[in-house]
Amino acid sequence: MKATAFLVLALALVPVYRAEAQSKVTIKMGDNLPDRTATWGAIIEQINSEFKAAHPGTEIVTESYQDQPYQQKIKIYATAKQLPEVFKFWSFTSLLKPLINGGFVAPLDRAEFEGLGYLPGALDTNTYGGKLYGIPVSTDIWVIYYNKKLFKDAGIDKLPTTLDELYAVIPRFKAKGIIPMTTDGKDAWPLSITFDLLAWRIGGERALTGKALDRKIKFTDPVFVQAAKELQQFVKSGLFQEDLMVSDYGASRNLFGQGKAAMYLMGSWELGLGTDKAFSQEFRDNVDAFKFPVLANGKGVVDDLMAWYGGNYVISSATKNLALDKQYLQFYAKRFPELAWEKAVTLPAQTVKPRPNDTTVAKTILKIVADAKSTSGTPALDLSTPRFKDDNENAIRELCSGLITPEAFVKKLDVSAEKAAKK
Amino acid sequence: MADPSRSRATVAFLVLPGLAVLAFSLVVPLCVSVYFSFTDSEGFGEYKTVGFENYVAILTDDPVFWRSLRNVVVLIVATIFVQNPIAFVLAAILSRMSARLSRILRTIYFVPAVLSLVVVAKLWADVFNPTFGILNKTLHAIGLDGLAMSWLSDPRTALPAVIWIILWQGFGWAVFFYYAGLMTVPRDLEEAARVDGASTFQTYTRVIIPYMFPVISTVIVIDVISSMKQMELIYLTTNGAPGQLTQFLGVYLYQKAFVAGEYGYGNAISVLFVIISVGLTLVVQRVMRGRLR
Repeated sequence: MKATAFLVLALALVPVYRAEAQSKVTIKMGDNLPDRTATWGAIIEQINSEFKAAHPGTEIVTESYQDQPYQQKIKIYATAKQLPEVFKFWSFTSLLKPLINGGFVAPLDRAEFEGLGYLPGALDTNTYGGKLYGIPVSTDIWVIYYNKKLFKDAGIDKLPTTLDELYAVIPRFKAKGIIPMTTDGKDAWPLSITFDLLAWRIGGERALTGKALDRKIKFTDPVFVQAAKELQQFVKSGLFQEDLMVSDYGASRNLFGQGKAAMYLMGSWELGLGTDKAFSQEFRDNVDAFKFPVLANGKGVVDDLMAWYGGNYVISSATKNLALDKQYLQFYAKRFPELAWEKAVTLPAQTVKPRPNDTTVAKTILKIVADAKSTSGTPALDLSTPRFKDDNENAIRELCSGLITPEAFVKKLDVSAEKAAKK
Repeated sequence: MADPSRSRATVAFLVLPGLAVLAFSLVVPLCVSVYFSFTDSEGFGEYKTVGFENYVAILTDDPVFWRSLRNVVVLIVATIFVQNPIAFVLAAILSRMSARLSRILRTIYFVPAVLSLVVVAKLWADVFNPTFGILNKTLHAIGLDGLAMSWLSDPRTALPAVIWIILWQGFGWAVFFYYAGLMTVPRDLEEAARVDGASTFQTYTRVIIPYMFPVISTVIVIDVISSMKQMELIYLTTNGAPGQLTQFLGVYLYQKAFVAGEYGYGNAISVLFVIISVGLTLVVQRVMRGRLR
């Protein structure tokens, strides 16, 4: 009797289960935004819930890690053929191109995304071999964030516009027990971007490092030696936190957010510092940004701006729900710029309207972009092979740890660029 | 009826599951690794075989590989000649204390060994932090400002600092093994030595230590193996910084394979790593066995 009842129950459940399975679609996603309650991560969650409401029966499961572990995870997933269906990535040659070459990324229809307000060149940076592979999400510019209150406390009423002026403020902050500037030295890429910018400020020519990668000039040129000297001087002069080379993204950001450091060298994706509730109201009210200074004898000007379209979203070519995934990207492209600007988390890759209630730092970032006379495009470390990127970062680490001379540093870059060019 | 346990077929059949697990978890991955070490694979996408190119590059043109290997040797030496003697002396003192006090102290010494590696790494990274770390704060407080430095990123102190963390965590195990070993030394052996007029020092060097040689050699073999395997703690603290001064083979091959996108090269490092590890372990065991005789 019991057995019969069990059988009937089991059979009755089968169709229900199958119907359930048919109507539910789960999109697996991945991104580098582990905090889902604040700033960028919270916006993604909002977009996801709006998308799910508009597409009943759709589930979204997201895996998130910090930047560098996330990049490594994606490489490992690609190796194991287990990439998420839709994932945040970077438009760079060093990161996206190997995935495209391996056939892991589905091409998109450019016409579907034109007319969504993308800034000039934004879609082009995601185009390889004439095909669009990703939708850009942010405009990234390189700035120096600063804490107005700490500047005032140290009696500094003029922002540094030259490197000499920047060096001059170091002892003023140190006397107050404040770290003059922080950045993520452990991961080295912020230092590499700064090296590009220094070469530009010295030589006055845009994308010099890119030229060296194309082997039109050599990394051993005097302009790069001088840029390397200047970068090494940054560290030697005590500009950065003492443990620069082992302090990672989160640690360096916290030093600034907690008021222990006066300046933070980072990209515009951190404009959410002005609204991040993890930090005090006093900090949020006082955070602003300024342009990277010039060199007294340099040929570059202050409005030569390191700017590129880094972050993007791509679809795995192994997806089973291509149409739905594309709808998601469409939805994302329409909603993200609006939300990102409203919540002040980053400068989108699409046009945004300034609003009277924008945070101070958001207004400043917009002004820096508007003032730009010339923009850099993707930083050199991401313009070549993954190997060049790794070599570049390791050489920068050695340079900034004082283990090699600027001359030895540029030599290392040149050897690596030569190898990359042959590949 | 014949005893089934004596039948070769039965033995083979019973050993098969274990062998299969061993094959799939060790032999197969190793073979795959050897295969990829002869390619220029980036982990995915197309690749071609390049013969011994990766091996030649590692052995003749990769200072970081040799630096990583050197650091492993430094760690082994530090473990054997710094950690072990201190652990032995402490275990000897513990073995002569009252049972209660000894138990409390043994528990305290063993705490680091049961802590999660992530906790240990973050704990010491914070202690060594130049801005808010307790070490520098203490040095400043007692007027030793000159000694305060960025312990984990200063080229002079980075390697000793990470080695210190590793030794600190492994210390509990060493004490544990030696204490257990000391407990097995027969009292009458010691008493006989004393009757013959041996001092405490002589009793240890001439009687107890030779008696405990099997324990010591086991601890040393374990130390060598765990030093070779060192990866997580480095990854979580310095990741090889400053420059590549604190690089270890485990982290280096991971970075090559999954950060630099040189999967083939990373695999070649891992194959060399296996060869070196097995070779070193065999040498250590042979030396120890020689001493045992």
